[in-house]
Amino acid sequence: MKSLRRVGQRMWNFALRRDGGQRLREEMQEHIAMETAHNQRLGMSPAEARRQALIKWGGASAVREQYHAEKGLPLMETMLQDVRYAVRMLRKSPVFTSVAVLTLALGIGANAAIFTLINALMLKNLPVADPRTLVRLGNNNDCCVGIGSHDNGEMSFFSTDTYEYLRKNLPEFEELAAMQAGFAYRPVVVRMDGSSEAPRSVMGEFVSGNYFRTFGLNASVGRVLEDRDDAAGAPFTAVMSYETWKTRFHGDPGVVGSTLRVNTRPVTVVGIAPKGFYGDRLLPSPPEYYLPVESMPQIANVPYVHHTPVQWLYMIGRVRPGVQLGSLQEKVNTLLRHQLAETGRFSGKSGAERLRQLHIVLTPGGGGIQAMQEGYDRQLRMLMTASGLVLLIACANLANLLLVRGMSRKAEMNVRTALGARRGRIVRQLLTESILLASAGGLAGLAIAYAGTQMLLAMAFPGAESVPINPSPSPAVLAFALGLSLLTGVLFGAAPAWIASKATPADALRGGTRSVAGGATMLQSSLVVLQAGLSLVLLVCAGLFGKSLSKLERIDLKLDPVNRYIVHINPQTAGYTQRQVGDLYRAIEDRFHALPGVEKVGITSYTPMEDNNNGWSVQIQGKKEQEHNAIASYLKVNAEYFDSVGTRVVRGRGILPSDTVSAPHVAVVNQEFVRQLFKPGENPIGQHFGGDLKSAGDWEIVGVVENTAYQSATWNEHMMYFVPTLQRPLSAEPDSIDRDENMYAGAIVLKTSRPVPDMEESARKTLAGINPNLSVVRFQTFSAQIADQFSQARLLSGLTSLFGGLALLLATLGLYGVTAYGVARRTAEIGIRMALGAARSKVTFMVMRGAMVQALAGLALGIPTTLLCMKYLSSQLYDIKSVEGSVMAGAVALLALAAAVAGLIPARRAASINPVQALRVE
Amino acid sequence: MGDKTDVMQGTLALMVLKTLDVLGPLHGWGIARRIEQISGDLLSLNQGTLYPLLLRLEQEGSIDSDWGASENNRRARYYRLTKTGRKQLQSEVREWQQTTEIMARFLAARAEEL
Repeated sequence: MKSLRRVGQRMWNFALRRDGGQRLREEMQEHIAMETAHNQRLGMSPAEARRQALIKWGGASAVREQYHAEKGLPLMETMLQDVRYAVRMLRKSPVFTSVAVLTLALGIGANAAIFTLINALMLKNLPVADPRTLVRLGNNNDCCVGIGSHDNGEMSFFSTDTYEYLRKNLPEFEELAAMQAGFAYRPVVVRMDGSSEAPRSVMGEFVSGNYFRTFGLNASVGRVLEDRDDAAGAPFTAVMSYETWKTRFHGDPGVVGSTLRVNTRPVTVVGIAPKGFYGDRLLPSPPEYYLPVESMPQIANVPYVHHTPVQWLYMIGRVRPGVQLGSLQEKVNTLLRHQLAETGRFSGKSGAERLRQLHIVLTPGGGGIQAMQEGYDRQLRMLMTASGLVLLIACANLANLLLVRGMSRKAEMNVRTALGARRGRIVRQLLTESILLASAGGLAGLAIAYAGTQMLLAMAFPGAESVPINPSPSPAVLAFALGLSLLTGVLFGAAPAWIASKATPADALRGGTRSVAGGATMLQSSLVVLQAGLSLVLLVCAGLFGKSLSKLERIDLKLDPVNRYIVHINPQTAGYTQRQVGDLYRAIEDRFHALPGVEKVGITSYTPMEDNNNGWSVQIQGKKEQEHNAIASYLKVNAEYFDSVGTRVVRGRGILPSDTVSAPHVAVVNQEFVRQLFKPGENPIGQHFGGDLKSAGDWEIVGVVENTAYQSATWNEHMMYFVPTLQRPLSAEPDSIDRDENMYAGAIVLKTSRPVPDMEESARKTLAGINPNLSVVRFQTFSAQIADQFSQARLLSGLTSLFGGLALLLATLGLYGVTAYGVARRTAEIGIRMALGAARSKVTFMVMRGAMVQALAGLALGIPTTLLCMKYLSSQLYDIKSVEGSVMAGAVALLALAAAVAGLIPARRAASINPVQALRVE
Repeated sequence: MGDKTDVMQGTLALMVLKTLDVLGPLHGWGIARRIEQISGDLLSLNQGTLYPLLLRLEQEGSIDSDWGASENNRRARYYRLTKTGRKQLQSEVREWQQTTEIMARFLAARAEEL
């Protein structure tokens, strides 16, 4: 209590800058006067009386010091003094200061930017209530609609039946919600009822009625979805995202209660989701509408919602307090197997064996479905490592700078020591300086981080609608950056401070600047070697990623993207049934052909180089059943499709206009299909195939096309077959057309005779002319669509080059700094050498050799490290399995060049030393 | 001054408090003078060192101070004991008496008693 009051009083005094000097002076005067008077009364002369009084008082300055120490906060005061002095010293050497701050800012900025991204992507929880009690049933990214599990039996997406069974039988969950796994691949088309505005294709997610309740969320306006919305026969309802409400409807509360047309069906908006909620997973384009699962069969016209084994739902639940996850997982799996056994899909011995393997792994659900995270995890980690290396190099640079500065201030330190400064005080002073530098670097780094994160987001998600990632650094990132910079300051400020403080005053005053001993210390040289080695590693990485990218881009896709446009459509969302699409396709062909410049109009299920695939098993008629399921990509295309994307027919014929519904059922297959399923030399034309032995007569092969790239450039060796848009497998039941999703085309491909800049607008108008509900889901030129497939590789390559360049720049600066410092210190020595007849070229060579030896040592360190790193890199690279000689040679050459530049400048300065002047320096 | 004792650490504060307790409000010189008188000029006191101590005691709340007029009509700062100071004095006096008693017994002990 007592000491607390004292500290409080001291801080108060410190804050008011009250040091009480005045009071002490007055009291002293008074005291001396009284003592003098007393002495005089004892009979002393006035002068003697005063002298004795002063003696009695004691050391005046000691008293003052003591008094002062009692009064304020001496530690704080010296600190402030240190800071003021440090600022003055830093101001006096602007080049040193700006290089140091810039070095740190770049290192810290790069790290903070990457960390912001990692924080947002990997570490952040969903903005929901108590994310820790959320559990996801499943552990991987399997998507979107299908039947089956991983080879190891792990299941992550489920049928509606499984969900309902688990929800009913798992009281351990307070709530168990289900959500559409693949909504990103099935946009909905939304139009305001009675509005003339063109319909928009947006993200809509079908979710269970307890979705919002599970997350513990309330509507910001109106209400959230409830169980009664998710019931058979309930009127169609939807919750709108806050973002959409604000940007599209200007936050108009009248939107709640109004009716939208979602895929032409009337849907009432019952509420607005809470602000900041971006759904159950982080995606570049989050859902704008949440709709109940029960409304999906009608709104999305899909057959798999009820009474099928088709899996399409993810599950996230909130567990009750005290539930053990281990036993819960066991129970979940027992129930899962029980439910699946009842479907009858697992009959027989092999079926039972397969069922036994099926299981769910429970994972933390607070971060939501880790859809995007999985894809970015490795790459972010790699970038983090790269930026960490850059920071390390930056720190080494700063350490070197501080070291050099510490050395050159040796004389100053010596004088200060000689004048009585304690070593602790000098170390504190130097530490203050480096911490100040680090803080300035940290602050500048934050600015760079902010800009860098925005750049990263733009590079990572080109064309995204609204990425729910805030580029401004969070408090965690702030703490991270500042902590990092302070640690750097203390760590790398300590060594130079210690070395500098070891000054022996006598040495200094004797004129210690005359030195023959090597220019830089071992510590400095090893820092430079480290920098050179690390930057070589980063340069090689950058080279490898660049090479990988150029290899990717140079893959012959067997496609022709020139003057081609891709219009993604979804006739189903415009209300077309499977029986009506024939007329629509004819109308599309006619209307688009009428547009000026259009040469070919292709209609297809999906297009090359988009993230889509539809695989079906195939069986050739008359051949024995394949041991492994042969899966081929399946597309329905019209007659002009092959020409529109530039796929060449190599044998037989393509699809013709005469291949109508009633014509013989034909298929065109790709070369890989022939290679895998036929013997060499066997003629595939005229052969039949189907999905299995029973349906093997479905299609007759009439032609073979070249292997072209679908889904991604690197997916080679996949079989494909193409059938006419309206033909269905011969063995299919006629009525099943109403459930056949394959009848819907996904894209129109337009080939024009010349570039048509306003093609998007004409496509929109043409479609609206056919049916106002028919909207453009996505429009891109074919080239842009292809380029999108390389955006991740380009991002990686761009960033690694950036880091590599940064590292090289920093290493060059470091090498230059050390060499220049060495030359400056050896001015006198070089002067003597030259006076004794050393040639200028010899001096140049001597200095250059020093720089080159360090660079070489860096190479000796860097090359093996790079070879070691290759193991971790190769999975990220395309068609590169080992460090390529050309890349390594390039990186070594770059580093050597940088070292030469860094060495040459000081070397020339050394050679231009005038011996007479050099000797006169001291 | 050879046989004068330096003031032991911590005892000066107790002397100041006791002085103020006995004499009431007093200025710095008065306190110094009084301590020297009572100690029978056996103590060597740098009078200046009294003032940082007074400041500390004031900041701790044991004493309080104010400007006032001295005997010869000059401005002087008067110190007086506060309630806290009185309590502190009592407890410190107790402690001190205990310490001296122990020391006294210890020093009085003869060899056979040890």
